[in-house]
Formats: sequence, structure tokens, C-alpha cells
Amino acid sequence: MYGGGGHYDGGGGAANANSLFGGGGFMPSQSTAVPESSGGGGGGGLSKGRNAQTLLPLTVKQIMDAAQASDDKSNFAINGVEVSTVRLVGRMLGKIERVTDVAFTLDDGTGKIDVNRWENESSDTKEMADVNDGNYVIVNGGLKGFQGKRHVVAYSVRRVTNFNDITHHFLHCIHVHLELTRSKPRLPPQINSSTATPAHANQVQLPNNQATAFPASGNTAENDVSSLIMNVFHDPAIIDREDGITEAYVIDRLKLPVDLVRKVFQEHIDAGNIYNTIDDLHFKSALNG
Amino acid sequence: MDTSSPAALVNAEILRMFLGRRVRTVVQVQRIEGGMVFGQSTDGRPLTIKSAMDIPVSHFMEVYGIAENDQTIRAEVCTDFGPNFDAKAFDGLCKLASDKFKHLFL
Repeated sequence: MYGGGGHYDGGGGAANANSLFGGGGFMPSQSTAVPESSGGGGGGGLSKGRNAQTLLPLTVKQIMDAAQASDDKSNFAINGVEVSTVRLVGRMLGKIERVTDVAFTLDDGTGKIDVNRWENESSDTKEMADVNDGNYVIVNGGLKGFQGKRHVVAYSVRRVTNFNDITHHFLHCIHVHLELTRSKPRLPPQINSSTATPAHANQVQLPNNQATAFPASGNTAENDVSSLIMNVFHDPAIIDREDGITEAYVIDRLKLPVDLVRKVFQEHIDAGNIYNTIDDLHFKSALNG
Repeated sequence: MDTSSPAALVNAEILRMFLGRRVRTVVQVQRIEGGMVFGQSTDGRPLTIKSAMDIPVSHFMEVYGIAENDQTIRAEVCTDFGPNFDAKAFDGLCKLASDKFKHLFL
């Protein structure tokens, strides 16, 4: 990653860029970034607050595909992360200089988007005089939505002088996309690939407080079985079932010894993690219900 | 905002999948004859660029245009990328952008 933006500076923008983006890399913080669950609802689970300020390298296509966060019309979500500050790299087209601002269209090869740059200070004017139609530019700015149309209000517009920056930008887009979409298993990797269906891999991850609610007794193998069984209960296909599931179902699905499953089941019952529903045989999780 | 005419990032190999469509590539100029630029693609194959602008030999040239056949692109916009360009990195990008991460680009 770059520090302080020095790598990208194509001239006059150096001081400006450093004051805006100085101090460390631009990779969005991972701690609160919520990956979009494969089957999950669109607007839910956005990371909020400070992370929205994180600069995200994007293609115009990604911006076009971004979901508009429902509550606040000016916010967007990409990969489940709220986006407001973006970096785009493309060709400047249709530059129009006005008294207080410069408007142009940015074409990055994946699409075109309108960009505005307000000229508050002489340094802004100088920076915008340096770039013209046909030039490749690096735009850092805020992503705005107005009446369904998306545009960028640029904080900085710098001419590309090293054309490897274009390749780099797109690779950076891919890298950040990967970082944000990669599933981050929080539970120990105990899911046995031979028993786990592909759906298991994408399954809802238990928040930590629930994971620690499991009985701590028994050896590691039993704890693994314990989590495996609770994972079955928390399968999105099962969690909404009114009457829950039976021990036999779990045994069949996990292909585990009856004795072991029965023992762990009893532990979960004793701990209050699962409870009886329509009869003595059916159980439902108390943790996510 | 308009994503109606995206240009696929291609090398010579991937160019074949986009015949008749808008593509974008980088070639290293080898010779220029009658408005045609003969260059080498980032994956080391010969590519011909029609109606290209004059760019010094051995420079890298970026081309936006229509893929006429698997060796020819009719240029719409050309940019001189200069003599120093990392063709290998661009080639890698083309592969990623046309395959696993296509949805970010097209």
C-alpha cells in the first residue's frame, strides 16, 4: 500500500493530497466491515460511521452496481460497506470550466460518470488547469446521488504521469473487492470438509458472544461437534422452521456417531442452548431464535 | 452516468472473445506503415491497429477500439504510454478482468 499518496502525485497536488489522505494505507478497516452474506438482504448490515470515510478504489461499473442505502439517500453500499469517498482513474472528457467549478465526465473504460470540482482556492484552479480532455486523471472525491443519478464531487484531480498507475488502480480495485468479500471465518476452522456442504462454508457466522455461550466442558473434539451441531441449528434454511429439527436429522446430516450427538445434544439442552418444540424429539436453538 | 459501452481489457488471447466489440489494450509499437501500427501485445503476439496515431517505435500505446478480428483492432482513441510500461502487470490485469472479476469491469 502507499503511504501518504506520494506514489500517485503527478505534480502540484502533492501538498493537497498529503493533507487530505496522509498517514497510512487506504485499505478499509477490516474489523467492522461486514461482508454481504450470499443470500442476505441488500441494505442490512452496513458498516457505519468512520468507515464510510475510507477511500475506496472503484470502477464506474461498481458504482453503477452499488446499492443505495435505504435510509439516507446520499449513501451507497458496495460489498456491504458504506461508501462515500472514492478513487477513480480514467480519461477526462467534456471539461467545462465555469466561474466557481469545473465539470467533466470521467471515462474509466467500464463506464462514464460526471465529476465536479469546486474551485475554492487558487491551488484548486491551478490543479484543474493542468488537466484537459483526453488526459488520464486520478480523481479522489465524494460519491453523491441526486435524483437517481450518481456523480462525484472531486477533492483532487491529478493527471496520470506514470501509466502503470492505471494498471495499478484496477488491480487495487480487485484487491480491495477481494478483501471486502472474502469470508472471514471467526470460528475455529473445525468444519470438516467431508461433512460440510458448500452451503456450510457461507453459513452465517455466529457472533462471538454466542460462540462463547457453548459449554466449555469436554475435549476439543467434542467442542467441535458441539459447534457443528449448533451450526446445523443456525443454518438459514432451518432457523426459521417453526417446529425445529430432530436429533435424527442432525445425525443424518452430520454423519456423526449417535452416542456422541446424543451426549452433546444433552449438554446443549442442559445449557439452555436448544429447547423442545412440538414434542420431545424436535428442538430449536434458543440462541438465534 | 453511463456504462452502456464498456471496453473490455484484453490481451491478444482475450481479444478473440470480444470480436466486434469495444476493447482496450496496450501494444508495444514495432513499426508503422500507412496509418497501420504493427505492435506486440502484452502476451507477446502480433497485433495490428488501424487508424492509429503516430507513436514512436518501441513506445507502448494504449488503444480503445473495436476488435475487427483476432489480430486487428480499429482504433478510436490512442494514448502514448511512453517507453516504460509494465506489460506483464497489464497482461495479468487483463486475465483477472476478463475472468474472475469480470463483474467489476463489464
